[in-house]
Amino acid sequence: MSSLLRNQKVRNALLQLLYVGSIAALVLAGVAIARQNLAEQGITSGFDFLSKSTGWDVNFSLLPATANDPYWWFFLIGIINTLFLGSVGLMLATIVGTIVGLARTSSNELARLLGRTYVDIFRNIPLILQVFFWYAVITHLPTPRSAYEAWGMLLTSRGLYVPVPNVGGPAMTLAIFALIAAIALPVWLGRTSRLSQPIGERLAIQLAGAAAALAGAAIILAIGRLPDLPLVDFPALQGLNLKGGLRIPPEFSALAIAIAIYGGSYIAEIVRGGFKAVGKGQMEAALSLGLSPWRVFTLVRLPLALRAMLPILANQYVWLIKATTMGIAVGFTDFFMIVALTINHSGQTLEAIGILMAGFLTINLSLAAVFNRINKAIALKGNQLRG
Amino acid sequence: MNSTQSPGAAVRIENLDKYYGSFHALRKINLSVERGERIVVCGPSGSGKSTMIRCINRLEQHNGGRITVLGTELNDDVGNIDGIRREVGMVFQHFNLFPHMTVLENCMLAPMIVRKQPRAEAEATARRYLEKVRIPEQAMKFPGQLSGGQQQRVAIARALCMQPQIMLFDEPTSALDPEMIAEVLDVMVTLASEGMTMICVTHEMGFARRVADRVIFMDGGEIVEEAPPEEFFTSSRNERTRQFLSQVLGH
Ligand SMILES: Nc1ncnc2c1ncn2[C@@H]1O[C@H](COP(=O)(O)OP(=O)(O)O)[C@@H](O)[C@H]1O
Ligand SMILES: [Mg+2]
Repeated sequence: MSSLLRNQKVRNALLQLLYVGSIAALVLAGVAIARQNLAEQGITSGFDFLSKSTGWDVNFSLLPATANDPYWWFFLIGIINTLFLGSVGLMLATIVGTIVGLARTSSNELARLLGRTYVDIFRNIPLILQVFFWYAVITHLPTPRSAYEAWGMLLTSRGLYVPVPNVGGPAMTLAIFALIAAIALPVWLGRTSRLSQPIGERLAIQLAGAAAALAGAAIILAIGRLPDLPLVDFPALQGLNLKGGLRIPPEFSALAIAIAIYGGSYIAEIVRGGFKAVGKGQMEAALSLGLSPWRVFTLVRLPLALRAMLPILANQYVWLIKATTMGIAVGFTDFFMIVALTINHSGQTLEAIGILMAGFLTINLSLAAVFNRINKAIALKGNQLRG
Repeated sequence: MNSTQSPGAAVRIENLDKYYGSFHALRKINLSVERGERIVVCGPSGSGKSTMIRCINRLEQHNGGRITVLGTELNDDVGNIDGIRREVGMVFQHFNLFPHMTVLENCMLAPMIVRKQPRAEAEATARRYLEKVRIPEQAMKFPGQLSGGQQQRVAIARALCMQPQIMLFDEPTSALDPEMIAEVLDVMVTLASEGMTMICVTHEMGFARRVADRVIFMDGGEIVEEAPPEEFFTSSRNERTRQFLSQVLGH
């Protein structure tokens, strides 16, 4: 027995067991106490409330929503709003970060200075202040009657009105997937045919792929088109109000801009670090083979820099997704705000927070899993210390 | 080989000056290399050997004098630079292979993109040169999976796939463990015996003795001495050369 206890593996396993056991006991005790307290207040615990109607409404939803809809539907709306805000915010932050990060690695002194100033300023102002700032700016835009207009979009203090196609929901979803394919397909085709086709033919294959996907999207839209309505629903002034199109509320825009600008300052540093990590030797070798500076960038520098930055970028993305919970500060009905409202109205605190945690865990773990797969797939093979 | 090429020297360097900021790295260098000639450049660390051969394919920009490569002057004309880089291969001390591509892809990249070779042709060429540097079986591996000596031989094959007329070597064996130096030098000796124009920065004096037509000794950004190997090793009267030789030859 004592010899067994002296075995390192057995010891580690026992310690591990003790640790997990005590945490489980703590959690169970907490749940039991909470249940008792809630029961004394006359609140029944459990997830029955999910099918009850909420009695309140949300200010922004990509899905149809009324106060008669049940809680589970609102949770879904919240998750979709969070994902929508998250993906728009991350996309914009990535674009901003790439531009600023490249400026910081540029050989142009002014570009470097501008990039550094940007990072120093926006990384050091708390996100919530930036959200409030942009919210104030947007809500002080002109009223609908004197709206700014560009490409069929209207920019007003009540939000950004964008034209939407008059197309049924399922067809719209399919069409969005087709549009994503139109971007992804050429990239994929480029990779798989990387060294099997001369450059010219490869471009043709990529263009054909993109064209096919776009044509698919057009066909889907044509089939899914709602009868007796114009193909595109443009927003327009009717009386004192704007009708038609999709209204992107100021809350959403303020959050998306703030996340783009704040997140962009962090991503810029990651981009800069990625490019700095690429050895000068590889680029010199590529130049010495007669490759043009542009080819050196796309074939050597960028692929190597991406490999260096993706793991850190994944962390940053997970972090920025969590930052969407700032929505509650300006009243955007993201997942977190829906949960907060649910707790206020139904009193189902534990259940709602459980759903919130499960939701964010799922989103962020999936994101991390996707990035891990990409990282694994493109990881450099072998020992990189030599040479 | 020489008969198919236009006449004139392979590389002609006249009064070459190079500054890094205010530091005068190369001082009025004059050097002419004929086609098919094998030059070994040696000299103490920091004497400007790398700088000089990197000027030949414009990895460094010179500040004064003229460099003419295969009859084309190296100036700000991008077309000239591209044209020269296509004909001048370079092998680096640290191999500088592309770690995200297989050995075969490393060798096929430039021929396909710069020379616009069809894939089949580029692959055949790549496999032929990998055979020549004696690692045909490593074609599908990645650089990080090879030993230093193997990586350097891939780097040589990669440069040869562009079918250059001139090869530059910048201390190709300095980063290698002793047991791998011979395998790289063997490849270089073969290349020399086939008539390749070569400029090699190296301290491998055995190699210099065996293949060099001329040995160039540099110190302090200048060419101090220039002589056929026998003369260079046995009867140099220059004090700096003799001191350097006693250091690298170890007596
Ligand atoms: N990029 C650079 N910037 C500033 N000084 C440099 C740079 N590259 C080389 N030098 C300097 O130029 C001199 C010659 O360098 P180099 O050509 O690399 O010498 P070698 O190859 O003979 O060892 C050295 O004093 C070195 O410090
Ligand atoms: Mg050197």
